[in-house]
Amino acid sequence: MQFSLTPTLSPSVRKSITLIYHFAERESKSRYKRSLLGWFWSFLNPLVTVGVYWFIFGAVYRAVPPVTDNGNAENFGLYLFTGLIIWTLFTGLVEGSMEWLTSVSDLRKKIYFPTETALLGGAASNLVQTLLEVAVLVVIMAALSNIGWTLVFLPVAMALALGFGLGLGFIVSVLNARYRDVKYLAGILLNVAFFAVPIVYTPELLEKEEIPGIARGLVEWNPVALFIEISRDATYFLQVPLWNRFLAAVVWSVTTLVIGWVFFRKQSMSISEEP
Amino acid sequence: MSVGAITVDGVSKRFRLERNRPSSLKEAVLRIARTRDADEFWVLKNVNLDIAPGSFFGLIGHNGSGKSTLLRLMAGIHRPTVGSVEATGRLSALLELGTGFHPDLTGRENVYLNGAMLGFSRKQMTASMDDIIEFSGIGDFVDEPVKIYSSGMYVRLGFAVAVNVSPDILLVDEVIAVGDEEFQRRCLKHMDMLRGKGTTIVLVSHNTDLMAECHQVGRLDHGRLVEVGAPDDVISAYLEMVDSSDNTLHTHDN
Ligand SMILES: Nc1ncnc2c1ncn2[C@@H]1O[C@H](COP(=O)(O)OP(=O)(O)OP(=O)(O)O)[C@@H](O)[C@H]1O
Ligand SMILES: [Mg+2]
Repeated sequence: MQFSLTPTLSPSVRKSITLIYHFAERESKSRYKRSLLGWFWSFLNPLVTVGVYWFIFGAVYRAVPPVTDNGNAENFGLYLFTGLIIWTLFTGLVEGSMEWLTSVSDLRKKIYFPTETALLGGAASNLVQTLLEVAVLVVIMAALSNIGWTLVFLPVAMALALGFGLGLGFIVSVLNARYRDVKYLAGILLNVAFFAVPIVYTPELLEKEEIPGIARGLVEWNPVALFIEISRDATYFLQVPLWNRFLAAVVWSVTTLVIGWVFFRKQSMSISEEP
Repeated sequence: MSVGAITVDGVSKRFRLERNRPSSLKEAVLRIARTRDADEFWVLKNVNLDIAPGSFFGLIGHNGSGKSTLLRLMAGIHRPTVGSVEATGRLSALLELGTGFHPDLTGRENVYLNGAMLGFSRKQMTASMDDIIEFSGIGDFVDEPVKIYSSGMYVRLGFAVAVNVSPDILLVDEVIAVGDEEFQRRCLKHMDMLRGKGTTIVLVSHNTDLMAECHQVGRLDHGRLVEVGAPDDVISAYLEMVDSSDNTLHTHDN
């Protein structure tokens, strides 16, 4: 017996998939438009990033990184990189969503198509970029033989960050179509939020007396920090994430995605009426 | 409902006016405190219309009467504030200039994008690509970004896509007028051909000669569909109205 997927897809779903693919392709192409090395930059970028952090935090500042599973990969640069991948995925989605929706809003005034395909396509393109960074990370970790079965949690961490970033992206992109200040506001908030997430510091830093409990709670339970922790458990510490923190991460991600989606579906039709 | 039919059922459309629309967050917040004044404008008022599959329908009316808005509702671009609009089958629309083209993409890429929006795969579009380029007559410019096109070239390519994808419904909003004489004739001939194949065509135009070709013509006046009938009757009623209200500019601050 033969099983085929295509006939079961409704025409509108198939149309959406074609559009998502189109927007993803366009976003990926425009990323390194007019460049000779193209995708090579996608690898070079994270490589240089790790290299620079490795050097600055390892050799210059001699920052003490947490101990990895086998003690081989003990380097603050790597520790930082594990967090930065997730952070970049998240902010890329939030800031990208606004851009992706703006870039199709003129088009949407002249022809009907489901606008979410522009966001989903952009997100897919960002995800590919993240996968390249992850590949760099995994290769380095494998070279340092700090790798184990916990790696299966890495895609989970990415999926959770994707859901949360996209959910927020759905909301801010629609708001930004109406009020252009949303973009600037989001930019500032993300800059501040960067320091609410343990990327350039370790969570242990917060165990000092003088840090108020609220600040500690904010840093420990904010969604992006939770996703980063899972990705670090997966690739750096090689341990299973704590179940209660894992659960919190899932709840954050799923709720935000659902709320964002519902909001977007309700509001995005009026984009064609914006002047 | 059969393929190619359009049903407009009790449709009213309200727009919020620019001058009353908060454009920044600060304004939006300040606005919450204030009471809502007359900041809305009904562009269409209780429009009911049934267009049978395969018919050639014309819409006339003064500037700002709501013709383009009605077409946009049929195309699914806007959602009606009240009532419902249903158009079954593959719908292809040419609304004003630039008909859903992305300025940075080349003509060819835009054809693929347009096709995707109409529900065609890349493969299907590749198959009809030559026909489209040929019909548009823009030649090698198809591989240049459309932002460098002249208005006529824009419309040519847009029209070429819209008519070469064998739509069940074709919506055309005055765009043909931008093309040169040769292209206009080609368009009319092609629309004739589509009509022969049973495509439902809705055309908005101020060209009364063109309107006379329709099966039926509807007249919009300040957002109301005041008349639907044989072209001759509706057109003469329209011209009479224009004559009687000579020099009166119709604007929406009534
Ligand atoms: N997005 C919008 N926001 C606010 N008002 C709008 C919007 N689109 C159209 N309008 C208003 O709705 C009214 C009807 O516009 P529409 O474009 O449908 O007229 P029309 O009959 O096509 O006119 P014309 O013959 O000049 O093309 C106009 O007064 C216009 O200003
Ligand atoms: Mg118009």
